[in-house]
Amino acid sequence: MIVAERKPIAELTSRLAPYRRILVVGCNTCVAVCSAGGAKEVAVTSALLRIALGREHPETRVDETCVERQCEVEMNAELAPSLGNYEVILSMACGVGVQTLAEQFNTAVVIPALNTKFMGRPEGLGEWSERCAGCGNCVLERYAGVCPITRCSKNLLNGPCGGSANGRCEVDPERLPCAWQLIYDRWVALGQLDRYLTNEPAKDWSSSLHGGPRRIQREDIR
Amino acid sequence: MKPYLVLGCDRSASRALADLCRTGYVLPDEVEYRTLPCSGSLDVLYILRAFEQGFERVLVLSCNDDACRSLDGSRRAAQRSARARTLLSEVGVNPRCVSFRQISPTMAADLCIWLDEFVQPLPAEAEPEKAE
Amino acid sequence: MSPVSRLQSLLERREFTVSAELGPPKGPNIEVITTKIGLLRGMCDAVNVTDNQTAIVRISSAATCALLVQQGIEPIMQMTCRDRNRLAIQADLFGAVALGVRNLLCLSGDHQVFGNHPTAKNVFDLDSVQMIGMVKRLRDEGLTLGGEPVDGAMPMFIGGAANPFGDPFELQVLRALKKANAGVQFIQTQCIYDMVRFREWMKRVTDLGIPEHVHILAGVMPLKSAGAARYINNNVAGIYVPDPIVKRMSAAGKGQKARDEGIRITAEIIEQVREIPGVHGVHIMAVEWEEAVQPLTEMAGLLPRPVLAEGE
Ligand code: SF4
Ligand code: SF4
Repeated sequence: MIVAERKPIAELTSRLAPYRRILVVGCNTCVAVCSAGGAKEVAVTSALLRIALGREHPETRVDETCVERQCEVEMNAELAPSLGNYEVILSMACGVGVQTLAEQFNTAVVIPALNTKFMGRPEGLGEWSERCAGCGNCVLERYAGVCPITRCSKNLLNGPCGGSANGRCEVDPERLPCAWQLIYDRWVALGQLDRYLTNEPAKDWSSSLHGGPRRIQREDIR
Repeated sequence: MKPYLVLGCDRSASRALADLCRTGYVLPDEVEYRTLPCSGSLDVLYILRAFEQGFERVLVLSCNDDACRSLDGSRRAAQRSARARTLLSEVGVNPRCVSFRQISPTMAADLCIWLDEFVQPLPAEAEPEKAE
Repeated sequence: MSPVSRLQSLLERREFTVSAELGPPKGPNIEVITTKIGLLRGMCDAVNVTDNQTAIVRISSAATCALLVQQGIEPIMQMTCRDRNRLAIQADLFGAVALGVRNLLCLSGDHQVFGNHPTAKNVFDLDSVQMIGMVKRLRDEGLTLGGEPVDGAMPMFIGGAANPFGDPFELQVLRALKKANAGVQFIQTQCIYDMVRFREWMKRVTDLGIPEHVHILAGVMPLKSAGAARYINNNVAGIYVPDPIVKRMSAAGKGQKARDEGIRITAEIIEQVREIPGVHGVHIMAVEWEEAVQPLTEMAGLLPRPVLAEGE
């Protein structure tokens, strides 16, 4: 899923300072699952904003709502009738949701409340880790299911670097396992260590964001 | 409206308060007391809403860990009070404005002292309080 | 194919070679480079020029190498994958070769979080193994990575790095083989303090037949103090200074006495690595302490350095 994190309230209040009628719109999909922008977080953030913004301008109105999936135009349609009552939308969806609202409601000011971080998964309570960088040409089968592009700090396809120590990555040993230790351990477990000896050629990054913004078109669905 | 809010657990705080009142004690004027069925059900949002409504300080009174009827309800209440403090400090509210204490029904005397403390002005330059 | 550099000639003649390291200044101060050249001249066969080492911005490796060539010192140009994509690497290599640089050390590069621009966007378009393969292709096939002909010859002696002390140990052995397969001709190792582990790594790479094709230069770094040793153990992943060495450094005291002991220990390490089959030279990393190279090479009996006849 897409993992995000709320921006500090101080940043939000400074962005929202010029406005008195604010609609906070959450999203019930990825960002709700990672406790960043679902109904619960919308309620908490709105309460905090009311406290903070209400100090100087008690007339400030902060209303809350949450849509099922903010990245889909159809699901945002329900917002349309009430938007006239607000000067600004504070979107608590990922960057895709924010852009969908902005594109869909072309007279609305839309401000992001979250920092969209990565595609990842939960690791225990209150912790998430990045797992895929969306390179557009998945090589996981060559690395025993561990992504070197995403999980190695230097994206090494023929790693490890010399900084791998005790299973940890030199870039942040406390928080980061060394991807190449993980790959190695899996290869050994699978009896596939010989795969390492094939040198991985320079990657074709044209399928990734480096090749420009991407789009998928499928005739069978159109 | 009253500026201070006490949220007390039905099985402990409210009984201690009843005890205390039997001795002739009267809640200070500035304090509103609300009974929680169980502090385990206390939500962060409940505390935030109190501040939104205009309360300046909240005291959460929860059962002792071993007396909590929903097992780890007290622990959760402590966690949520701590979370509320963190969130409120993000909007410039002194985290000391949210306090958390554990109480048993027989602790009327302690409650009397705590309530007295609760209505005293906060120290001006409060150090950030550690999460309990 | 005849050797393209002095370093390559000496290694192929099976001389025990010495390379040193020159850290370029954090700006265009040529005087610093000239001073360091003075400290290294005659003490070694070639000089590594670092490339924004530890991700700290310095005068470019290529420009510094060109200055070395002008002053009659043979450079080994370090090139990292951190700051350049495949276009920039190839362009800089063309430039370096045109200016007389012949030895190249292909590196992944330290991560930018360790340097003075931690907010930078890194590149890592290629890794060091891929860079080695790319350079080999430029040289042997005269083709860029993109497949177009290179206008001119690319005489290069291709090097890489290895860390016998990194984990997982088995991959640090096999990675040398990957580099050999990609076309590396010499390998400089991470600084050696732990002889037991280094011997084991050498045994394993020798079992794989690597030293038959690849010259291995053992990396050494003189310690300035016991504090420096402890710092390495606590902060530098993938290098380990064993206790007896730390103790010797503490016992030596402070200042010049400690520095002398650091040089003595390094000279002893050089004597030991020299005896290991497959080790064809040493690489001295006296980082920002180029003054140490002379006493060290002297003490280790590495002076004078051989002179090559014209055209050799
Ligand atoms: S190889 Fe590419 S698509 Fe596959 S997990 Fe890694 S980044 Fe994602
Ligand atoms: S330590 Fe491991 S994960 Fe970190 S950069 Fe090196 S190889 Fe990649």
